Amino acid sequence: MNLIGACRFIAACASLLLAGALFGQDCAHPDLNPQERLSRFHDLDARAQTAMQQKRFTDAVELYREATCLAPESPRGLYGLGVAQAASGDFLNARESLRKADHIQPTSPLPLAMEVRIDFSLNDMDALKADLREEAARFPRDAQLHALLARFLAEKKLVTLALAESLRAQQAGGADPDSKAQLAILENAVGAYEDAIRNADALEHRTELSLALRASAAGVAGLSYESIGQRDEAIHHLQEAIRLDPSRENSYLALADLFEQAQRYADAVAVLKQGRANVPASTAFLLPLGSDLIRTEQYQDGIDLLRELLRRSPDADQAYLSIADASRKMGNSAQEVQALRDLASRKPDYPMIHVLLARAMLNGSTVDYPKVLEELAQAEKLAPADPDVFYLRGKVYIATNKYKEAVAALNRSIELRPLESGPYYQLARLYQKLGKPGLAKEQFARLKYLEAAPSN
Amino acid sequence: MTPPNLFFVRDHFNQPEISVETWNVRIEGRIAKPYELSFSDLVELPSRKIEAVLECAGNAANGSAVSNGVWEGVPLPALLHRAQPLPDARFVMLEAADSGRLFEDCSSLPYSQMVPLERCMEPSSLIAFKLNDLLLPKRHGFPARALFPGWYGMDSVKWLRRIVVMSAQDQQSGFHQSGMDRLYNRAKRTGNDVQVTRVSSVRVKSSVAWPNDGLKLPKGRYSVWGFAWSGAAAIRDVSVSVDAGRTWNLAGLQKQAGPDSWVRWEYQWNATPGEYVVMSRAADHAGNQQPLQRDPARKDGYELNWCLPIHCSVR
Repeated sequence: MNLIGACRFIAACASLLLAGALFGQDCAHPDLNPQERLSRFHDLDARAQTAMQQKRFTDAVELYREATCLAPESPRGLYGLGVAQAASGDFLNARESLRKADHIQPTSPLPLAMEVRIDFSLNDMDALKADLREEAARFPRDAQLHALLARFLAEKKLVTLALAESLRAQQAGGADPDSKAQLAILENAVGAYEDAIRNADALEHRTELSLALRASAAGVAGLSYESIGQRDEAIHHLQEAIRLDPSRENSYLALADLFEQAQRYADAVAVLKQGRANVPASTAFLLPLGSDLIRTEQYQDGIDLLRELLRRSPDADQAYLSIADASRKMGNSAQEVQALRDLASRKPDYPMIHVLLARAMLNGSTVDYPKVLEELAQAEKLAPADPDVFYLRGKVYIATNKYKEAVAALNRSIELRPLESGPYYQLARLYQKLGKPGLAKEQFARLKYLEAAPSN
Repeated sequence: MTPPNLFFVRDHFNQPEISVETWNVRIEGRIAKPYELSFSDLVELPSRKIEAVLECAGNAANGSAVSNGVWEGVPLPALLHRAQPLPDARFVMLEAADSGRLFEDCSSLPYSQMVPLERCMEPSSLIAFKLNDLLLPKRHGFPARALFPGWYGMDSVKWLRRIVVMSAQDQQSGFHQSGMDRLYNRAKRTGNDVQVTRVSSVRVKSSVAWPNDGLKLPKGRYSVWGFAWSGAAAIRDVSVSVDAGRTWNLAGLQKQAGPDSWVRWEYQWNATPGEYVVMSRAADHAGNQQPLQRDPARKDGYELNWCLPIHCSVR
């Protein structure tokens, strides 16, 4: 329930809650008679609701406080005060007000439902669960309440508890299609795939339901089938989801993901292009489509799409890496380096970015070795025991005829990752170059031993 | 932490089909207040998280039937207290939804185990519904399983559906009728007798994750590593030998070992050319030390915790 919903609840409360007997005596306006107090309460209540709607929560708290002073036993006043206190961030007092409201009027589920929200804001999971148990014990047949709680908990990513409440809603008779769809989504999310498939499949085939709901159900069925390893069924349901509602981008993305897992990249490209055509405003297709175009060797098209993505979302890290990857495959080292530099400038701590840059720079036709060493020095600062740093440094030293340094760097790389063959090979070649055939032979022998050993 | 998809799986029967919508667990037997819990009831109860290792009682020395995870569940003592066990209650039979025939002369019955009530009342005993912050995968007992940290895995009954509190006189349980009482027993020969006792607490053990047996290595500095655990107490130390146990060196422990979890250990080895036999040996804070060899009096296939030699050759 949102704040407006809370206000509506307050407005809808029966006036019997305002019985004169509930009014307090030790408040401001001691001279008011019961009728005047009632009138004053109404006025404060109306003004507080207006304040809530205008998001003047502190004002609303004050108005409700005055109202509850006039009528300390009014659940309507206490509930309003609790909601206003919660909206103004005073969660502890809000919970206290709501508990009083619940105590006075235990037949209403709303104070407890609001307490659940406050428990979440306070990160008090024990209290949240206790309130859910209390709701379950006192309102077992209120399907709407449990569905409402399920939606709130799902929004807050408390999926297990959301499923618990969704199940309670079903058991209370909440069999409307939306609740059923929500249940299927949650069952899929927690791994109850057979349950999710049964519920989603049933909804998918109910032709009287909206196409959007049926498409959503088909999508859930597809995802659940995928999770239990039935890929063909998954593809069938996701294709059906697209057919039922071509405007749902998730169906295309899930189907493309399935094709990617099966390494059917051309099929993934086709699905994502279809999605892009049907949902042109969506940017969600750009990264997977760009990446899949690169996987199908349509490098320039892929790069163009990823650049379009970066214009709209410069923080899409993977796009930089994919552009670098495509550029390397196209033999365009300068473009590869530039893509990585763009990423490094945005995310200097991105894992391995400096090693990737150094490697890309070494692939160029003309190499600026001091710059490569600078990158490697930065990489070493971030990851002092990264064997790639020393391996690449060894290669730089070989290329710049600093053989003693090269030997040290390659040996350090071997020490950090003794089962990688590259440094042994570089070291062997270096010893050959230095006219040390014995040492070269020793390295070649280790390399051979390493590569021949089947158990490695 | 072992990811759920790499967690070891041991089943006696086919995994059962369970609907979360209809599943419940019933608590009955020698108690004053029998009751049932649905999935919703269970997950909305106060829960706790425990990092705990789970090992199959028949896990080989250096075997892979052992994993470590963070479990979340409802403390079993709280569920039993609510049921109010009667004064003669001594055991708890945990019954699963999977079933089958264990022996030719036994009926086809649900998988079940008997655990002393005293153990069930320990605070770490759980009815777990999450592993590593996700609901249990089906193969690990969805929607709920028992968990007894420090005990071998067979008692941590998966796909739990019934918790039956029993007295010492209740012998006609599914546990006995199914033949389960014939499994998971320690058989030790003493003279002409064979003493049979129930396997329960996990014996102190370490395993070498690297290197693997038969590995050929170029000379160099290597990190020998693995895991160590014990059901009796937290791991105190792990020693490593590269010469078949003639000399031992202390390995480093990655973090302070928890009471129920495993701990990763690591030893830096300067490997020069030669033939080597690598072994690890763990000790726990209760004074238990991993044995160098299997007790020759043991006639069963459980508690296989001796130090397994790993052969390596370095050139």
